[in-house]
Amino acid sequence: MTSSMPLWITIGYIAIAMVIGLVARGGRRMSSLEEWGVAGRSMGPVTLYLLIAAGSVSAYTFMGAPGWAFAKGVPVLYVVIYLGYLALVAWYFGPKVWAFGARFGHVTQASAIADRYQSPALGALAALVMSIGSIAYAVLQTIGSAYILLVMSGGAIPVWAGVLLVLSAIAIYLYVSGQRAIGKTNVFQGVLMIVVAWIIGLWSAHTATGEWSFSAVFTLVLERNPDFLVLPGGGGDMSFAFWTTSIIVSMLSFMPPVWTQWMSGTSARTIRLSATLLPTYYLVILPMIVVGFIGIYSLPGLARADTVVLEYAMAHLPAVLVGLLGAGTLAASMSSSEPFIHSVALSWSKDVLQPWFKISDARAGHLARWLIFPLMALIIAPLAIAEPGNLVMILLIGLGFASQVLPAFIGMFFWPRATAWGVMAGILSGFVVTVLLITIWPHPLGIHGGFWGLMVNLPVFLVVSRLTRPASAEVVERFFRIAAPWYQHSTVDAEKVVVRAES
Amino acid sequence: MRPTFVRPTSWRGWLVLMGFVSVILAGIWPVIGWVNQAVLVAGMPKLLVWSYVVLLSCSLVMWLGNLLIGERGDD
Repeated sequence: MTSSMPLWITIGYIAIAMVIGLVARGGRRMSSLEEWGVAGRSMGPVTLYLLIAAGSVSAYTFMGAPGWAFAKGVPVLYVVIYLGYLALVAWYFGPKVWAFGARFGHVTQASAIADRYQSPALGALAALVMSIGSIAYAVLQTIGSAYILLVMSGGAIPVWAGVLLVLSAIAIYLYVSGQRAIGKTNVFQGVLMIVVAWIIGLWSAHTATGEWSFSAVFTLVLERNPDFLVLPGGGGDMSFAFWTTSIIVSMLSFMPPVWTQWMSGTSARTIRLSATLLPTYYLVILPMIVVGFIGIYSLPGLARADTVVLEYAMAHLPAVLVGLLGAGTLAASMSSSEPFIHSVALSWSKDVLQPWFKISDARAGHLARWLIFPLMALIIAPLAIAEPGNLVMILLIGLGFASQVLPAFIGMFFWPRATAWGVMAGILSGFVVTVLLITIWPHPLGIHGGFWGLMVNLPVFLVVSRLTRPASAEVVERFFRIAAPWYQHSTVDAEKVVVRAES
Repeated sequence: MRPTFVRPTSWRGWLVLMGFVSVILAGIWPVIGWVNQAVLVAGMPKLLVWSYVVLLSCSLVMWLGNLLIGERGDD
């Protein structure tokens, strides 16, 4: 590929995203956490739909997923299923989280946890544990962004420069417009991604088979590599156990940016509408998976599976489509990394530094905006330039960590008797097990390390909660009036029962 | 406040819960093992078709939920 058109289209995308992100501010003051953090809870159903959709469709869709299809086949479909389940999670929990935020003033997930358990220490712990997964995710997306620029420029923009360029663009509009920038840019990125994915998918199928459908591609796979059409797949490593536990762990990972997105809606009804339609957006993954299958025969010697779509496009598609693919892939990675960077900065400021140094809300809001710069410069950029490990494994580790905060949500939505000590003990034990069973003894018996973590985490949480004192009845009532309003008519007061039992 | 786990209290709530559980079970083992065959359905791998059926069923059960309990905000 010698044309410079793909690079200019990709750079043009960054310029447009920058303008949209900067204009999103619309003259509003961004000094409060409410405005910078959750856009003044102003997002309607269409914006919220594309905000959540584009946020969850990452570089994985354009690189990792086709790479898995290329290297393993159908095991990649676990992503399609868990994304559908995340929509169910949004439908049930989103309206309640929104109501918590609107009534109690929460702007982050960890601040809701701290409030529910009356424990700033627990809020800080949840914020820090979640930020490991969030940072891993942001690093993953930044690596994807830099790689796109490297390829589109024919090597003229090295990885380090690509990382700096993309992070600088995000930093500027995030600082200026906060969550409003994420909302507006995700609308643009969401539309761009689905259009580009389907054009590239259909064009690739036509180039490879002469048909404008995918059936000839799969007929060929069935003839030559039928093992790619069933689990455990071509690599032989996606057992039923790993498929199932990966889906469960991913579904139970309440990532902080999603929580912030829910809080940004105009109403609880808006969130339910957006969640109901959300699965339709994930048709975006299908054509990219197909290109991965095409690559099995078109690019048999490909060294890096993640690059299958890019390599196929550069070898077989017109320059304008290669440029659109570059822009679409960059859109996917940026639309996912910016909410994670935003939420980590927001949560470190609100949930870690504010209670630690006893600073005011206004100062915490100011601090959150500035924190994005050291976060990007000192953590995300160096890690992205070092390019650690396999993209998908980083994602799985991140989600594995995030899933360990599950007890906090059980106590918020389902179990009034949960206590701060129970949640903390559960998170810490699950976290240790997950670290060991993802990094040192990976996924014993083919079961996801994060699932093993939950197997330890949940019993510890239940037992320790039973043995310790819950938050005050007033706090529990306040939360469950929203979380389960139909569940209040008992005259039994949980705390009174416990207090009497203890005395 | 009851110290037990929250459960639905109306038939509407139970119906939506059953819809959610069914669609979740449809995407994991053992159900996924039953559709795990190297067969094409409408030109696509059976597992791929099933995955998208599960995905769009998620929309369907949420739509059902909106009809039954969404506006009421309870259960």
